[in-house]
Amino acid sequence: MSSSTQVVVLDNGGGLIKAGFGGERDPSTILPNCLYKPLTSKKWLHPNPINTPSSSSSSSSSEQDLTSASVRRPIDRGYLINPDLQRDIWSHLFTSILRINPSQSSLLLTQPLFTLPSIQHSLHQLVFEDFNFSSLFVADSPSLVHLYETSQRPNGLLSKAQCSLVVDSGFSFTHASPVFQNFTLNYAVKRIDLGGKALTNYLKELISFRSVNVMDETFIIDDVKENLCFVSVDVDKHLNLARKSGKDNVFKCSYVLPDGVTHTKGFVKYPEQASRYLADGKDDIGDHEEISKQQPQDNRHKVDLTKNEFDLTNERFLVPEMIFRPADLGMNQAGLPECIVRAVNACHPHLHPVLYESIILTGGSTLFPHFAERLEKELRPLVPDDYRVKIATQEDPLLGVWRGGSLLASSPDFDAMCVTKAEYEELANSHKWRLGEKVVGVANATSVQMESY
Amino acid sequence: MEEDGSNSNRRTSGRTRKVASKMVAALASSDNRTQAALARLDALENDNAGFEVVDPNLDDDEASLDDDDQVYMQRKQSKGTKRKTRQAKALEARKAPRTFLELLHDANLESLPPHVPTYWKAAVGPPSSTARRHFCTVCGFSANYTCVRCGVRFCSNRCQNVHNDTRCLKFVA
Ligand SMILES: [Zn+2]
Ligand SMILES: [Zn+2]
Repeated sequence: MSSSTQVVVLDNGGGLIKAGFGGERDPSTILPNCLYKPLTSKKWLHPNPINTPSSSSSSSSSEQDLTSASVRRPIDRGYLINPDLQRDIWSHLFTSILRINPSQSSLLLTQPLFTLPSIQHSLHQLVFEDFNFSSLFVADSPSLVHLYETSQRPNGLLSKAQCSLVVDSGFSFTHASPVFQNFTLNYAVKRIDLGGKALTNYLKELISFRSVNVMDETFIIDDVKENLCFVSVDVDKHLNLARKSGKDNVFKCSYVLPDGVTHTKGFVKYPEQASRYLADGKDDIGDHEEISKQQPQDNRHKVDLTKNEFDLTNERFLVPEMIFRPADLGMNQAGLPECIVRAVNACHPHLHPVLYESIILTGGSTLFPHFAERLEKELRPLVPDDYRVKIATQEDPLLGVWRGGSLLASSPDFDAMCVTKAEYEELANSHKWRLGEKVVGVANATSVQMESY
Repeated sequence: MEEDGSNSNRRTSGRTRKVASKMVAALASSDNRTQAALARLDALENDNAGFEVVDPNLDDDEASLDDDDQVYMQRKQSKGTKRKTRQAKALEARKAPRTFLELLHDANLESLPPHVPTYWKAAVGPPSSTARRHFCTVCGFSANYTCVRCGVRFCSNRCQNVHNDTRCLKFVA
């Protein structure tokens, strides 16, 4: 591929940017979409990219101490609100990480559903005026996820029926989006205003209330959430189990905060102990004995002693629980099972059975263990008996959208789908900006036939 | 050092705006509980950006409207090293990032014809069952009691005492 036709695929999430090149299986980089300022610094800094399995070797050049760091994000509630900040971050991404020349590249950019015209306008300015990309294609996440999944299983139901229900629970919000023939049926999309960011903040709140003040520890509590939280398949039962004391409490686990001296990252104190819940409280005491024997040998045991660690029990499942019952938080919104039913019901009745049978989970907040199991348990009773309910989690829920974008970017029709800089300028100059929105907008984006996959 | 004009840059204005919106909510409701619930939900979308967040969870009840010292301190911490002219500052203030809710308000989506899908129409809507489970804000277990002052739940005398001592009305600005 010559450099003039290079397509940069950019899934610009509120939490993480996934970026790389069209045609590749994985993004070249995963970068937190923020700047941070450590306590000791006066300047806002770019966070290090997150190591992907394929790039884990050497890229963790310098350890960053994220303890009590302040955070600034260009995206609020899923949408770009600070183009200046986004420009800084993209500039760093394009120059220092991807090392590309935008004027010789096309850009495939994800844009959240229902992006306001003013925000689309800011994005186009960034792409064409600040960075000078040669052309742009804007896509929405659900259609890319659908595209990727159909390409993985060309003979599956998804491909035959050409439709799926994409449940994307990300950083900023959670969407249930029906996709039909590569179109996201935006009139049927339903959104819950809860995502990973709110869950992390909720976990911060609980820990700060109960043990130690971690209100300033976004990065650390993200780590706690990712490593220790899970979805309960039976909340009442698990709440009772979580009342037990000592070793009988299978949910109890400890997390060690960074001390800034021996370790700059927090960690789960006894990972074996922390994953006991996976056995679901069955009374295999033998295992517990074994774990307690192992503990003194663990080097990390030496670390604690001060108030540098905290215990978690029911917080581990009460936090992801909110996606299923936002009302428990005081939000006047239905939970995920009802959200799915409402999205399906907004579609043509012919599509209902296939949609329930083609539910795809994606997004970082679906990574909690037992997420799909719980969803199915609550969704099944809401769906007519003669319909099947089938829920599949994407192989890599963080990367599914990007992979779909990469696939689309490598299709032979891609160039023809893009809006070029010249076209953009013409539209901008002729004051037909409204038309421009339509041309670059989401609706037309995925109307292209994808038989080649 | 920028000793002067602690109210003139965008960080302070971001903060002021946030506090103002909180006050609007407070005025709209004479009820502490509603106020507390709103503030709490709002806090779930906060970043700890150091300056514009009115952190409702600080252990000392400092994050209120009159903590100019704190505003100043935070500003001092977070300001860049560049010295800026008055003009540059004014420009910066005009370009200060707006919240999504402000942009949403400006977009005036209500004026679109009813068949156009919008951000508002995509909201999932209220749950069909109004049954709300209540968890103790202190310990997390099922909570049958409500604090008469702030509306927050607790499960027992023990947890009530902890609540009264350390966190009652914490979410109210
Ligand atoms: Zn309690
Ligand atoms: Zn109270």
